[in-house]
Amino acid sequence: MKVLQRRERIDTLGSVLFVAFDERERLERALLRGLDVAYPVLVDRDRSAYRSWGLGRGSIAGVWGDPRVWLLYTRKLLGGERLRRPGRDTLQLGGDFVLDPQGIVTYARPQQRDDRPPVAELLRALERAARTAD
Amino acid sequence: MSATKVGEPAPPLDLPDLSGTRHRLADLRGRAMLIVFFRHAG
Repeated sequence: MKVLQRRERIDTLGSVLFVAFDERERLERALLRGLDVAYPVLVDRDRSAYRSWGLGRGSIAGVWGDPRVWLLYTRKLLGGERLRRPGRDTLQLGGDFVLDPQGIVTYARPQQRDDRPPVAELLRALERAARTAD
Repeated sequence: MSATKVGEPAPPLDLPDLSGTRHRLADLRGRAMLIVFFRHAG
């Protein structure tokens, strides 16, 4: 949720929608963590939107073979967190998209594994999309 | 299932938020939009 740290800039350019598929309790505990999320968090329990946006599932090796995933969980453990049973589908991949004001996709980065683009890259894409309205 | 591509109209999005309010992407046109699909919440 690093993108939330750039809210002022985002609000001058456009808006954000978050989409997740886990149940509410898991989202609040693992993702939202009491944050004041200024943008809608949409829930796609059956992942129909994931499918219609072309977001697939990764391989076990691709998702769980990434050392950064293990580093993340190691940090959580060292930080005193207790690991819980994984969510519904740990292989479901996400993605980041930017639309211009007419609803045309101007940036698409579906995940291939547990990777996310830097926030600065997303902001640049949002800036380009917002300029198309001029 | 085909990947969403740059230059194409965005696929529909019509989903409830955490409080049950529905949001339709088609109703939100007029501003640039970042859409973040999360993988599992961990």
